[in-house]
Amino acid sequence: MVLADLGRKITSALKSLSNATIINEEVLNGMLKEICAALLEADVNIRLVKQLRENVRSVIDFDEMAGGLNKRRMIQSAVFKELVKLIDPGVKAWQPSKGRNNVIMFVGLQGSGKTTTCTKLAYYYQRKGWKTCLICADTFRAGAFDQLKQNATKARIPFYGSYTEIDPVVIAQEGVEKFKAENFEIIIVDTSGRHKQQDSLFEEMLQVEQATKPDNIIFVMDATIGQACEVQAKAFKDKVDVASVIITKLDGHAKGGGALSAVAATRSPVIFIGTGEHTDDFEPFKVQPFVSKLLGMGDIEGLIDK
Amino acid sequence: MFSMFRNLVGSKTLTADDLQPVLEKMKDHLIAKNVAADIALKLCESVSAKLEGKVLGTFGSIASTVKTTLTDACVQILSPRRRVDILRDAMDARQNKRPYVITFCGVNGVGKSTNLAKVCFWLVENGLSVLIAACDTFRSGAVEQLRTHVRKLNALHPPARHQGREMVQLYERGYGKDSAGIAMEAIASARDYRIDVVLVDTAGRMQDNEPLMRALTKLVKVNQPDLVLFVGEALVGNEAVDQLTKFNRALADFSQQQPPRLIDGIILTKFDTIDDKVGAAVSMTYTTGQPIVFVGTGQTYSDLRNLNARAVVASLLRA
Ligand SMILES: Nc1nc2c(ncn2[C@@H]2O[C@H](COP(=O)(O)OP(=O)(O)OP(=O)(O)O)[C@@H](O)[C@H]2O)c(=O)[nH]1
Ligand SMILES: Nc1nc2c(ncn2[C@@H]2O[C@H](COP(=O)(O)OP(=O)(O)OP(=O)(O)O)[C@@H](O)[C@H]2O)c(=O)[nH]1
Ligand SMILES: [Mg+2]
Ligand SMILES: [Mg+2]
Repeated sequence: MVLADLGRKITSALKSLSNATIINEEVLNGMLKEICAALLEADVNIRLVKQLRENVRSVIDFDEMAGGLNKRRMIQSAVFKELVKLIDPGVKAWQPSKGRNNVIMFVGLQGSGKTTTCTKLAYYYQRKGWKTCLICADTFRAGAFDQLKQNATKARIPFYGSYTEIDPVVIAQEGVEKFKAENFEIIIVDTSGRHKQQDSLFEEMLQVEQATKPDNIIFVMDATIGQACEVQAKAFKDKVDVASVIITKLDGHAKGGGALSAVAATRSPVIFIGTGEHTDDFEPFKVQPFVSKLLGMGDIEGLIDK
Repeated sequence: MFSMFRNLVGSKTLTADDLQPVLEKMKDHLIAKNVAADIALKLCESVSAKLEGKVLGTFGSIASTVKTTLTDACVQILSPRRRVDILRDAMDARQNKRPYVITFCGVNGVGKSTNLAKVCFWLVENGLSVLIAACDTFRSGAVEQLRTHVRKLNALHPPARHQGREMVQLYERGYGKDSAGIAMEAIASARDYRIDVVLVDTAGRMQDNEPLMRALTKLVKVNQPDLVLFVGEALVGNEAVDQLTKFNRALADFSQQQPPRLIDGIILTKFDTIDDKVGAAVSMTYTTGQPIVFVGTGQTYSDLRNLNARAVVASLLRA
């Protein structure tokens, strides 16, 4: 499972608390060191890791605390809270509404998996009985329209795009108008890959947003990304109204911790994960059950609520 | 006021305890710059081993001594032990009336096809003709992507500028076919038509996907390319190590050939997306010992550079 390895390491670090006869500064530091190392190996942003360490430490005051049991519980609960914060932005995920147009725009870095994931999402809703379609507003990448067209054709999803129009804003707008008129429920707009250092492409992304007025903007992030994720994700959020995150390529070996910093940076929840190149290699993602599973503990809810 | 004590401290012998706090900071710094965690640790350990027991120079602080030592270590890692001279080798191959073959491989979406097109542009600029073998027969649009590049490259270098010769051609057999076979046909065709270089594009694959790794090994084994380039993106974090290790391992284990054909060099792409978080360059070269042959710095044909090891290390260690 995603992040499973990380979960195992964290659980084992937490167990070291139960094994220690007395809980003191040294035991706490040892445990935090283990947890932080595990997080860093999973590519979690180093700033977030340091913050986690500080936050846990600041909760625990050894001079004021009494019994050992209480200390253990407080430390565990503090660690849980911080881990949940990493994955859960605390906002409800956007949901499309049946019987009306829902425009969804995909954005992200080059090669992160947008085009592939667009079809996956369309296919997911189509199988659930929604009327879905795809628009290729990438006029930059060689073969982009062919890629979307072939994917859409295989999945029998109506699509819109152009070999001759070079302005993605025009295509996006035309496509959305056309499909709205035809009462499509899920209208997905694929865009070119871009990064924050490309000012004009960021401006173009804003124009596509203004032209299509999406109900949801999804930021697609590759699970293998390292420390550069946070600044990029934040730049996307600053430019357009990102509200959801999809993490792709979790079928590989990557733990996906780097991609998670997109959650903090965009204050948006992960809604799906990509687990392969095929159209049905796609799973909805729910934060809370994930965290419980990740930490392999039944009573997390109880711990966090304290 | 502590400056007056400098000399006393300055001439002391360094112990592991003196170094530890500085190295701890240095390790976090390297990780923040996107060096893989265990490589950051190993680097710091090697610095510690080098400095322990040494007498600190009169003017140097521990921090600056560590930094200098680490700089040297990183420059050494990034400096190729072996030079890959594609132009020279391709000319040699031409003399021998055979095409020079380069295979591009790597995980999904890192920039294999795009940087293949950039390398193609660079070869054509240097007067070499190229056949691109479309051996990604899986990903939608992969063939059309290459066809678009071929058209654009020929527009930039029209036959009129090359004695009527079409400098770039595409060898494709559509989708779903065996990629090793297509590469073989392409190479044979290049030989027949006296095309100088064959660039083999392959499908992206995850390093743990055994069937796909076997297929890549087969392609490499039966075609024995002159150069196997691993394409990795500068954005990648700790995965860099796993990707390279497992690509090499698969090429070794599945080929049953002694010695096996492994990765000869690296193309580090998307260098324009990472500001100063240049750590992937260190992780990748540390893991393989193979040179970074090209750095991709953008999405146009001219965005292909050589690695400047000193500049990379300077931004790696910059606060
Ligand atoms: N293994 C695996 N590969 C994936 C996944 N999602 C996408 N890919 C692959 O990643 C590569 C890039 O995907 P694309 O959909 O073209 O990415 P993109 O973000 O549209 O790329 P640009 O439009 O160039 O920015 C392709 O080879 C996809 O097949 C996934 O979940 N797992
Ligand atoms: N910014 C930037 N983008 C790059 C660079 N190299 C490639 N890209 C972009 O990355 C995306 C993916 O590139 P491709 O060449 O299709 O990647 P690939 O490895 O062939 O992908 P698959 O064949 O699907 O595995 C495209 O949008 C490219 O334009 C680079 O050096 N810098
Ligand atoms: Mg795309
Ligand atoms: Mg490709």
